[in-house]
Amino acid sequence: MGGEIWLPFPVVLLGALLLPGAAGFTPSLDSDFTFTLPAGQKECFYQPMPLKASLEIEYQVLDGAGLDIDFHLASPEGRTLVFEQRKSDGVHTIETEVGDYMFCFDNTFSTISEKVIFFELILDNMGEQEQEQEDWKKYITGTDMLDMKLEDILESINSIKSRLSKSGHIQTLLRAFEARDRNIQESNFDRVNFWSVVNLVVMVVVSAIQVYMLKSLFEDKRKSRT
Amino acid sequence: MGLPALLLLALCAAGARGLYFHIGETEKRCFIEEIPDETMVIGNYRTQMWDKQKEVFLPSTPGLGMHVEVKDPEGKVVLSRQYGSEGRFTFTSHTPGDHQICLHSNSTKMALFAGGRLRVHLNIQVGGHANNYPEIAAKDKLTELQLRARQLLDQVEQIQKEQDYQRYREERFRLTSESTNQRVLWWSIAQTIILILTGIWQMRHLKSFFEAKKLV
Repeated sequence: MGGEIWLPFPVVLLGALLLPGAAGFTPSLDSDFTFTLPAGQKECFYQPMPLKASLEIEYQVLDGAGLDIDFHLASPEGRTLVFEQRKSDGVHTIETEVGDYMFCFDNTFSTISEKVIFFELILDNMGEQEQEQEDWKKYITGTDMLDMKLEDILESINSIKSRLSKSGHIQTLLRAFEARDRNIQESNFDRVNFWSVVNLVVMVVVSAIQVYMLKSLFEDKRKSRT
Repeated sequence: MGLPALLLLALCAAGARGLYFHIGETEKRCFIEEIPDETMVIGNYRTQMWDKQKEVFLPSTPGLGMHVEVKDPEGKVVLSRQYGSEGRFTFTSHTPGDHQICLHSNSTKMALFAGGRLRVHLNIQVGGHANNYPEIAAKDKLTELQLRARQLLDQVEQIQKEQDYQRYREERFRLTSESTNQRVLWWSIAQTIILILTGIWQMRHLKSFFEAKKLV
């Protein structure tokens, strides 16, 4: 009984801190990360999800010999939903239950090369959080003069916004593709340089050795005869 | 009195919906963000420590700090600061390219970390996504239409910046490809010439050698 009295107050404080606009931690619905996975290691990430939301995860290997990685996605109960081996990119969409979904990138099959991995999480139907982020009504001052047409304007603004978001997403994807292609090209460039020089040196050395070995064959025979 | 508190508690739980991962005590986790220049990046993180006795993650970890280090594409350190167990870091890029954001805990006391796992919730916002619209509305005293128009303008500006950066990168990519192509051609020609010259030298040298040794 006594416990119930003091509980609301710090909870109110904590709740106030989490409202948007305050200095609290407000995670967004879509996120992308690029990280380096050293050879022989595995790294896992977790995403809490509500019921009946949609989780789309897209990953790409941007750099590292072979450009492949093992991918594993598990439900909150630990059941494996997706298991892919040695793939260079992948897209998966799942309808979620409540809990923390875990996805892992596994580079244990590689002993020397570290991989750069890009992944993007697109979350939909997250429920009350979506409304929270769009509800700017309490922060604005004044009203707009065009009352009747305001709704139409707002609707077209919303549609523009969602299309721009989509453009932004596509740009992120293109950026990842381009980064991967560029890394491939740069490693080609280094390889061409290195092996050309090696080739040149080997050719010159081998031809010199051939000549001197041949000469030495004849010189020994001369000495053994006398 | 109980019900609103419970609702707020639910709201707090709903607020903890970001991506998280686990790191060890001395482990450093780095993320790469490829961004155009003059782009602001805001990172938010929250840490939770594993309580071995209760076998749960504690809601907050007082006394634990995280060290955040950001390096620009040339390797120069842009930001290197220590924050508390929950923090927010910001930086603006001045050169386009791969910026590296590294996090590691500053814990040196083994006692704090017995069990060795720290849960880190992380959220990194780049460019237009980093703007806090409620704040902008309050500061500039905007109506809803003005605020939404401002948000669209920011979004378009971000896309345009990214596109310009894409063009710059594609040019670099094209230069590297063309240079590789050129080098493959020139090296092949050079190697063929050297092979022919070496062959000629070998033949002449051996011929004069055999003539000297009176074998031919």
